[in-house]
Amino acid sequence: MNMISEFISYPFIQRALLASVMVGILCPFVGNFVVLRRMSFYSDAISHSAFAGIAAGALLGIDLSLSSIIVAILIAVIIAFLSEKTGLSHDTVIGIAFSGAIASGMLVMGMLKGYRADLFTFLFGDILAITDKDLLMIFIIGILTVIVLLTFLKPFLQITFNRDLARVEGTSVRFFEYLLFLIIAVVITVSLKIIGMILVTSLLIVPAASAKNLASSMKRLFVLSCVFGVLSGVIGLAMSIYLNTSSGPTIVLVSIMIFFLTLFSRGAVTKR
Amino acid sequence: MIALQVENLCVKADNRHLIENITFSIEEGRIVAIIGPNGAGKTTLIKAILGLIPYETGTVSLFGRPFKNNHSVIKVGYVPQKLEFDRTIPLTVSELLGFTVPPVYMVPFMKRKGAREHIDGLLKIVGAQSLAQRSIGSLSGGELQRVMIAKAIVNDPKILFLDEPASGVDIEGQERFHDLVKRLNKEKGLTVIIISHDLNVVYRYADDVLCMNRKLICTGRPEETLTDEVIKSMYGEMMGAYIHSCHEHD
Repeated sequence: MNMISEFISYPFIQRALLASVMVGILCPFVGNFVVLRRMSFYSDAISHSAFAGIAAGALLGIDLSLSSIIVAILIAVIIAFLSEKTGLSHDTVIGIAFSGAIASGMLVMGMLKGYRADLFTFLFGDILAITDKDLLMIFIIGILTVIVLLTFLKPFLQITFNRDLARVEGTSVRFFEYLLFLIIAVVITVSLKIIGMILVTSLLIVPAASAKNLASSMKRLFVLSCVFGVLSGVIGLAMSIYLNTSSGPTIVLVSIMIFFLTLFSRGAVTKR
Repeated sequence: MIALQVENLCVKADNRHLIENITFSIEEGRIVAIIGPNGAGKTTLIKAILGLIPYETGTVSLFGRPFKNNHSVIKVGYVPQKLEFDRTIPLTVSELLGFTVPPVYMVPFMKRKGAREHIDGLLKIVGAQSLAQRSIGSLSGGELQRVMIAKAIVNDPKILFLDEPASGVDIEGQERFHDLVKRLNKEKGLTVIIISHDLNVVYRYADDVLCMNRKLICTGRPEETLTDEVIKSMYGEMMGAYIHSCHEHD
């Protein structure tokens, strides 16, 4: 008990805990749409596209979080625009944008001189290295995201259910799809420092998928996904400190354990 | 008053006309059946009217106002032929109907005074009050159709588009469904446009019929319009004999 209270007294642990709770709510909240709309490839593409932003930021000497957000938003807009205008399948467009961003990132990275440890924070995440500035950024973006999603939750869910019906009912499908793409891009990039580019998609998808295993209503889906997200973050963080393992992968593995628990409970495996 | 006015509507795909130069108008409060063989462009016509697919030329007006891209104050209800949605979505019937209840931009799941009663009332009208808390993916074909009708009328529309709404539903279910549409038409003065392959349905429920095969073939009251020649020209010789039997039963 003393050890726990001693750990919690460290400011970097307090920041890490706060970050895991905030991201544990934010990622699954947005992740519900990623799961319901089968957009996991898209979210994976956006998280990896941020690599180009980080590389560009390092080259130009600007804030890496800011540059990754700008590039992720740019890629999100390009994907949405090309999907709508070219008639190519969404998968194909994402694949093109994804590989283009990764290739650009690698090219720019090759131009950088010397070893840059800060770039690896974005690749693999380091929740213990979170600063007060990072926390403030996650908090502000998190609050704004939740406000926008809650305000427009009905049209977002209408479109998720059936686009044609949503359109006939007067919902501006194009506007809300672009908005959702942007929200996913922003949430992914603010979570990069915590969980890392490679694993951030799992925090979006896994708690939401776990909640979907158990939920019988939309209300329960949103509540359960956030509960599972926070549990994954806090338990994963505590375990990583106790076992001296990397925090990002530990958080993700905890969330996957929760997923399997929910999958096997209520006979979800045999049900479908 | 004219509920729906369609003028010179043309829809093309791959340089081929899916529907060609269609012009017609529908009076308010009527039930109009659209009939035609497979591939005649019936679903395309409804989708073009609703702005779900683009059209080459033509105009669509609802209650005297141009209707394009759904930026219209006229409320419209629509039940598609085949509703595509993720059957594993954790969504209750009550939540689905709640999405459409105004105000649309608000904190959801918040209990709005009257919304619950409104949804319950609608479910009662369509005979689905016991389904309120059921997951939408667990409904049978007939149950889903009733819920979709409730969803289509949740905002008190003035016009309802039904694209083969009873396909895949058993005979008893079909009859209940069409009785319900007729009742809504009588009680709420709803204009109904329904695509149907079933000529029995057309004779029993429709005030007017619109026959098409990419082009408009004829319009008018079913018993006057659906002559042997019209039916044969649309469906072939076999249907000529069938039409007599439908007519006699009626």
